[in-house]
Amino acid sequence: MSASERQEILVGDAAELVDGKFKIVQQGALKIGVTRLRDGTIRAVRNWCPHKGAAICKGIIGGTWPPSAPGDLVFDREGEILVCPWHGFEYDLRTGDELYRKAPTRLRFYEVVERNAKIFLLVSGRALEAPALSEPPAA
Amino acid sequence: MSISSELDRGEANTIDAKRPDTGIIDCDVHPLLKNGFPSLYPYMPMPWRERFKRKRAGQAAAGLTMRFAHPNGFIIREDARPHDDELAGSDPAFMVTDLLDANDMTACALNSLQTGAMCAILASADESIIIASAANDYFIQEWLPVDKRLRYAIVVPSQDPNAAAHEIRRVGKHAQVCAVAVPPIAMALGNRYWWPVYEAAQELDLPVFLHVTGAEGIYAGAPMPAGGLPDTYIERYVTLSQAAEANLTSLIMNGAFERFPRLRVLFVEYGFVWPLPALLRMDRLWRGLRHEVPWVRKSPIDYVNQHVWFTTQPIEEPGDPRDLEKIVKMIGVENLCFSTDYPHWDNDMPMQSLRMLSPADREKIMCRNARHVLRLS
Repeated sequence: MSASERQEILVGDAAELVDGKFKIVQQGALKIGVTRLRDGTIRAVRNWCPHKGAAICKGIIGGTWPPSAPGDLVFDREGEILVCPWHGFEYDLRTGDELYRKAPTRLRFYEVVERNAKIFLLVSGRALEAPALSEPPAA
Repeated sequence: MSISSELDRGEANTIDAKRPDTGIIDCDVHPLLKNGFPSLYPYMPMPWRERFKRKRAGQAAAGLTMRFAHPNGFIIREDARPHDDELAGSDPAFMVTDLLDANDMTACALNSLQTGAMCAILASADESIIIASAANDYFIQEWLPVDKRLRYAIVVPSQDPNAAAHEIRRVGKHAQVCAVAVPPIAMALGNRYWWPVYEAAQELDLPVFLHVTGAEGIYAGAPMPAGGLPDTYIERYVTLSQAAEANLTSLIMNGAFERFPRLRVLFVEYGFVWPLPALLRMDRLWRGLRHEVPWVRKSPIDYVNQHVWFTTQPIEEPGDPRDLEKIVKMIGVENLCFSTDYPHWDNDMPMQSLRMLSPADREKIMCRNARHVLRLS
């Protein structure tokens, strides 16, 4: 398989995926978390925090308290935010962006396909060749 | 009190037309009451004056401890005495000659620490209200008419924020008032306790000064140093910026600049190296813990760039002056305002200060940035 060629990796039955939790799939050194968002979208995320390389898919999937007026607390976006278990950086599971930064770091997403009630990841050979820990954080 | 805003603001703010408006602005100058505390008696209501006289308040007002006494005996300069029998900083005419004329200054901000300490903690809350009012009237009447370049940071009774706000509105319209000096107490600046003060300061377009009064670490109710009580003057001096760091963090994390979007704060005489680690840490932690304080809507560094300035004195002196230039660049040329601390021993006088900077950067710090902070026009 060439570096640009994409490979299908079986995640499991579509029914296994529930919101609020990642199923971690490992292929070689690459670990990818797969979850279902509340609207049914399936999201596959590299299990690597762009900040310091933590296993981010072990973090909280929840909501957040968006910017608000002083003393006013608002809770929003339940199920759409991933919080890194190390330093608490928050990422938007819709866009992959770190929240509320002018130049946000970004999660690495992967494409998924659903076929015959099963979920498959589409991963390039280059991604599979990448070393687990020495790779620089995703841009 | 009898004194209120008497001068026409437009008139008094026409700084001497013969001088260029690009001269040095000194953001930290310390005047003294000419005859000590009794100087304030003519500016007090009679019952209060009699109370203070009876209790010999003039003798009670000096609150030094042995451990924090200056090892050379005095913090004010011997060489800046107007006369042999007068203390440095006690004569406005001499100060104009010795500081403003000698250094071709456009303006200086007078900040009375002597009365600030009384207002912070040496006097009771009720007394502090009377003292602040008398002190403001004293300096407005006896100092400001001497030269239009003399500008004044009014002192407020920190122990009562509503009284402080009232005092700001009472004298804050005076044309030569340039700021509000808030004597620090053991209440961080981001606390809602201070909202009446910020509301009044913002209303009158006056920045808030934070500057030590000397009561720190001595009296219950004054800010305490972190980590334990210092043993000596030098130890205390080195660690004074702890309080500045705590107060800057408090202002930002409590959303003070969101609640008061026109609030400007000048940290005076804490130097300007300490904000670097504080801001780097604040920015980093904000990325992970932002949701605990969602009213902090942007990076703490952005709030500082918009609302906060730091005076330069006491300037650090690394072996390689280029290191200082790097620090200036890191903290931001636009965020720094020159100050001498005249007539104190640990001054930075203009001729020697920040010479390693480019002329353009130096000119911003010495002459221009203060115009964005002080109310000068």
